[in-house]
Amino acid sequence: MKIIAVLIIITGLLIGTIPLFTDCESQGRAIKLPDGRLIAMKCHWTGRAELALALPIAAVGGLLAFSRRRELRRNLGALGIVLGAAAILVPVALIGVCASSEMLCNSVMQPALILLGTLVVAFSLVNVAWPGQRMEQAA
Amino acid sequence: MNLWRLARRNIAGSSYRSSVVFLCALVVAGLALSTILIVRGASESLRLASLRLGADIVVVAEGTESKVESALLMGTPASAALPRSNLQKIAAVPGVAAVSPQLYLSSLKNASCCSASEMFLVAFDPATDFTVSPWLQKNLGGTLRLGEAVGGTYVFTPEGEQNIRLYGYFITLKGNLEPTGTNLDRSMFFTLDTANDMARVSKTQADQPLQIAPDTISAALVKLGAGADVHDVAARIMQAVPGVMPIESPNLFLAFRRQISGLLGAMLGILSITGILSLVLIGLVLSMAANERRREMGVLKALGATRGFVFKVLVIEAGLLALAGALPGLALAALTVYLFRSLIIRGLGVPFLYPSPLQLLGLVGACIIGALMGVTLAAAYPAWRVSREDAAISMRE
Repeated sequence: MKIIAVLIIITGLLIGTIPLFTDCESQGRAIKLPDGRLIAMKCHWTGRAELALALPIAAVGGLLAFSRRRELRRNLGALGIVLGAAAILVPVALIGVCASSEMLCNSVMQPALILLGTLVVAFSLVNVAWPGQRMEQAA
Repeated sequence: MNLWRLARRNIAGSSYRSSVVFLCALVVAGLALSTILIVRGASESLRLASLRLGADIVVVAEGTESKVESALLMGTPASAALPRSNLQKIAAVPGVAAVSPQLYLSSLKNASCCSASEMFLVAFDPATDFTVSPWLQKNLGGTLRLGEAVGGTYVFTPEGEQNIRLYGYFITLKGNLEPTGTNLDRSMFFTLDTANDMARVSKTQADQPLQIAPDTISAALVKLGAGADVHDVAARIMQAVPGVMPIESPNLFLAFRRQISGLLGAMLGILSITGILSLVLIGLVLSMAANERRREMGVLKALGATRGFVFKVLVIEAGLLALAGALPGLALAALTVYLFRSLIIRGLGVPFLYPSPLQLLGLVGACIIGALMGVTLAAAYPAWRVSREDAAISMRE
């Protein structure tokens, strides 16, 4: 189960870092207002929100690596599922990314975040459902 | 304790061995499904694009074949001009049943007068058309009027608006065609009258006017009469109409077909190397494990287990690990290919169509069977060797 915990930490870190290199701001793109000011596109704010989610996901992984109690593992797993689902919802529904499929945030950042969020959910589900935890508790 | 329970206990008891077999099965199954999905998706997409065009021969200006094919499949703007007068000459060629002109245009890039940036636009002649019109008759009960259009599957009217604006001209979207996985899914189809009207309006309403050269078309689509040979008619068109290149339907998108063949070869090569290495690794790991467990198997035989039972335990163990590895590998591959499909299209330069859920299920089933067979094959020899050994010798060593 330690491997799963490490995988959750890695996935969490990727969720936080991938948007830093794939949002439109990292590609030098921004919305130009009529008065000449530049403002960030919504994919940038998605990246920020993902960074906020990445830290608790990595923390869940870290706590899982050191927890031995079955109840604690199960609760951390449930928290991981919620955080993973949130990591998917931010680029898909809550904030979103730029509409054009030509943009890197649409073709790379969004699919990568959905994939990584799905992995966090899957790894957390394994933690919740793993039958070996019963034996660990007994030990 | 039954066979399956014993195999499950053995898997849980040796995490290193189980992880290696699990990972190998995951990688091979995932890679196999990705390869199949990409190559099959590209080929299917080309087939549907040819069907959508619905022509036996596409006649274009000499030297513009690849430009027109790229325009149709990948949406690369193309300026292919064919004199309109050629239509009559083509129609007069024996074996030709119908000829219809098409004009390929594209919307402006990031212009305020266009709702969609660089959209591929196809203008057709409703009087002679045999490609879009049958679909229109079947689904809309008639043809398109001035200012009306049908779009590919991904064409939509912007939120909060009633029309699509192109070159400052308002177009009403009447329906959407089925997906092909090519740029035709992001294209819009309207009549030549609408195209000319758009060009007229664009002079005053667009950032840049739409230029349509008079008496020119981009391509002539040819339908053959019953019994006519495609190759013969294409040769006759070349002879009768100078400066044109007839592309026969089976040869349509030939450059893309070659690209897909190259892609298939490369991917199959990688898959074969990975598959063989994984099978060898699995075989080695299982062989080492079988050697380590000779005493355990000897005890089992001493307790009354038959050779067949010992053989089955080892093979079922490998099969369960293969299944456990293949399932997440396949799910991951299917999800990754689906999510990154637009990146695949751009990166590999080929069109791509994701299979329907039922077709995907069939492919996943085939990959699971393949993974099970591969791992079982790798496990069979060490399992057979251990099962044949005498119980007394096994326990002594």
